[in-house]
Amino acid sequence: MTELIKEQHLLDSLTSAFKIKGRVIRDRRVEVFADKKMVSGILLFAKKQLGFIHLAHMTCIDWIDENKFELIYTIWSPIEKIHLFVKTKIERENPEMENIDSIWDQANTYEREIREMFGIQFPGLIGEQDFALEDWDEMPPMRKDFDTKKYALETYYQRPGREDAKDVRETISERSGTKVPDFAKKYSREK
Amino acid sequence: MSFIDLKGILQPLGALKQLGKKPHTIQFPAESIEASDNYRGLHFNDLDDCIGCGNCSTICPNEAIDMIDLLNIKEKKGDSSLRPRIDNGRCCWCALCVDVCPTGSLSLTKDYIFVTEDPNDFLWTPGIDNKDAADKISYTSDVSTSISMYDRVPMRELEGKERVKSFAEVVLGYSEEEARAEAQRCISCGLCVEVCPENMHIPEYINAIAQAKDKDALRIIYDNNPLPEMCGKVCTRLCEDVCAMQVRGDAVAIRWLKRYATETAPTVELIKEIVDPQIEEPNGFSVGIVGAGPAGLTAAYYLALKGYDVTIYEAQAHAGGMIMYGIPKYRFPLESIDKQIQYMESIGVKIKYNTKVGKDISFKEIYNNNDAVFVGIGLQIPWNIGIKNEDSPGVIPAIDYLTIINSDGKFDVGKKVAVIGGGNVAIDGARVAARYGADVTILYRRRVEDMPADWEEIEGAEHEGVKIVPQAIPTKIIRNKEGKVKGVEYVMAKMVAQDGGRPRPVAIEGSETIYECDTVIGAIGQQADFDWLPENYKEKVIIERGKIQVNNLRQTGDNKIFAGGDAVKFGNSDAISAIADGFNAVKGIDKLLLNK
Repeated sequence: MTELIKEQHLLDSLTSAFKIKGRVIRDRRVEVFADKKMVSGILLFAKKQLGFIHLAHMTCIDWIDENKFELIYTIWSPIEKIHLFVKTKIERENPEMENIDSIWDQANTYEREIREMFGIQFPGLIGEQDFALEDWDEMPPMRKDFDTKKYALETYYQRPGREDAKDVRETISERSGTKVPDFAKKYSREK
Repeated sequence: MSFIDLKGILQPLGALKQLGKKPHTIQFPAESIEASDNYRGLHFNDLDDCIGCGNCSTICPNEAIDMIDLLNIKEKKGDSSLRPRIDNGRCCWCALCVDVCPTGSLSLTKDYIFVTEDPNDFLWTPGIDNKDAADKISYTSDVSTSISMYDRVPMRELEGKERVKSFAEVVLGYSEEEARAEAQRCISCGLCVEVCPENMHIPEYINAIAQAKDKDALRIIYDNNPLPEMCGKVCTRLCEDVCAMQVRGDAVAIRWLKRYATETAPTVELIKEIVDPQIEEPNGFSVGIVGAGPAGLTAAYYLALKGYDVTIYEAQAHAGGMIMYGIPKYRFPLESIDKQIQYMESIGVKIKYNTKVGKDISFKEIYNNNDAVFVGIGLQIPWNIGIKNEDSPGVIPAIDYLTIINSDGKFDVGKKVAVIGGGNVAIDGARVAARYGADVTILYRRRVEDMPADWEEIEGAEHEGVKIVPQAIPTKIIRNKEGKVKGVEYVMAKMVAQDGGRPRPVAIEGSETIYECDTVIGAIGQQADFDWLPENYKEKVIIERGKIQVNNLRQTGDNKIFAGGDAVKFGNSDAISAIADGFNAVKGIDKLLLNK
């Protein structure tokens, strides 16, 4: 596609400089996948050499099935008008990632949030441990294995007036005059 | 420095220039700013679209949603008549409930202000307590972006042109991977259970398949259906009509999943090992069963499990009734039937073949020698088409034609065949004739969408080259010199709407057309044959309009005689209803003999 020349050019300059993989998502969107050790180098190169002067966003995804966290740095070049996504996957056990708030000050805020919500450590990160949560001593809540429902049930009392709640499966069984055999009950929908 | 600070006095007066300008302060009384287009504010639920599946309540990570009985919701099939109530004190507006709502009735609105002094006021029912929010809906779910999966895993089939070459099974079945993917689409609401005549434990066995516990799935299925292989292949699957996913997408392929579960046990030994039937000690009672169709077999199976001595009397050489003789083998192969029958026999059901009650054994003998009798005779005698020259050679009722073919007999239909009727039997007759190389046309008096046949069957027939002429009313059979069928004359019909019923076909004058053909297959329904039943029993059993009258426990007027299947006026005329009859009759017999 001819209209994606600048995006392809950006991708080529990054992949040749760092030997990494990536793709043009669409116009004004490019992503690269890098090893965790290369991320700060890529970000610095993009900022100083390619004009990506703005860190727009930094976020994290818990890929629990792969046992990985994915960190995504979204940076922006006002000249090229391209969003570049730098993505990296790190181990889920004792997760640690390089602190980049020396490249962009605002990364400090994102990193503190990710530290609290996912439990990823950024060595050298300065700032209060508490970010949005106060006195949180449970598993970091944005992790996929955090059981929100269980937490909600244990932490918050049930408002009075909710006792008349019914189970759909049981209602249907009653109405049709049948019973689910005991050995099958474990496959009924969780209440 | 002057004595009076003139500047200090005058400068504040500069503020006067703001007089008359629009103030930047907040309006009083307060006016809230309109939220953005997909804002996630307070909930709204369209109570008419909602089917009460409870998926919102299950997914809520904060346990904020209860399903409650609103009482004023009319009870109907495919609707639990429960509706969600939300504790807004717990809600975090993640909108997962909206994302997983299969009907799209639940949405979030632009309303975001709810002020109250009593925290218990936060508990309210969307759609009832905020009726006016209907026009402020902002966040809705969309089939394409929803985390629910609305598209069915397609079933692999033989190609139309391949099919007509043989009686090989058309549907190829799901692979393990396909079955898991399809089973995971189920939201386990259980609305389907109610419409299933047999109330099978559908969400449970589908969930077991989704969790790769196929053996448990099979055990759950056999809990109240001893013929699942048959149901997995040819069930009328009323369940899929009310599937929550069907509202905006494809119904979960419940029938194919059951079929998949049965395919994991390909031999009688394996079925026995997995199902592990618990046969109770003989209780000393014996039950005689007339007819080895789905109703009789089901009754026999569960009676045998409960320790009854069960004997089935079957007129034909093979058990299965209509599923053996009425259903073509490309839908339900002989091996499948044999396997199911052998399994039944292996747990103690006795079947006496080639034993026609009333001829080879008298009903009186069965009645007197048993503690209870179950009658599952089905509908054997075809209705006449009711047109001139119907008795000509070359006119055959579909059910007779299917029986001949399924008994390995031969019947030459010639090159061109006309099938009259629009039910599954008509389609079966047409597709079988197509497999013998005939050019087949179905004449049906109403529109294609009115056909009682299964849509997949209609589609299958069309793929195999069967032509359908809708709104065609046959008027007479045309004979050749020898008196054999030469064609069928029909008139076209227009559909006239009528009060309280489906539109009625009315013949258009002068539209007579002749379709030339060698054979006419009539398939406009069957009736039961009661000739075998002696008069003194007939009086007690009560037969109305050709069907035996029974109560909920399938007990007839004679409390020792139970009945089920197509010959009984209860439920639909399909195999699963027959199974339900057999299953419920077992409860009735238990009650009669053991007072349980």
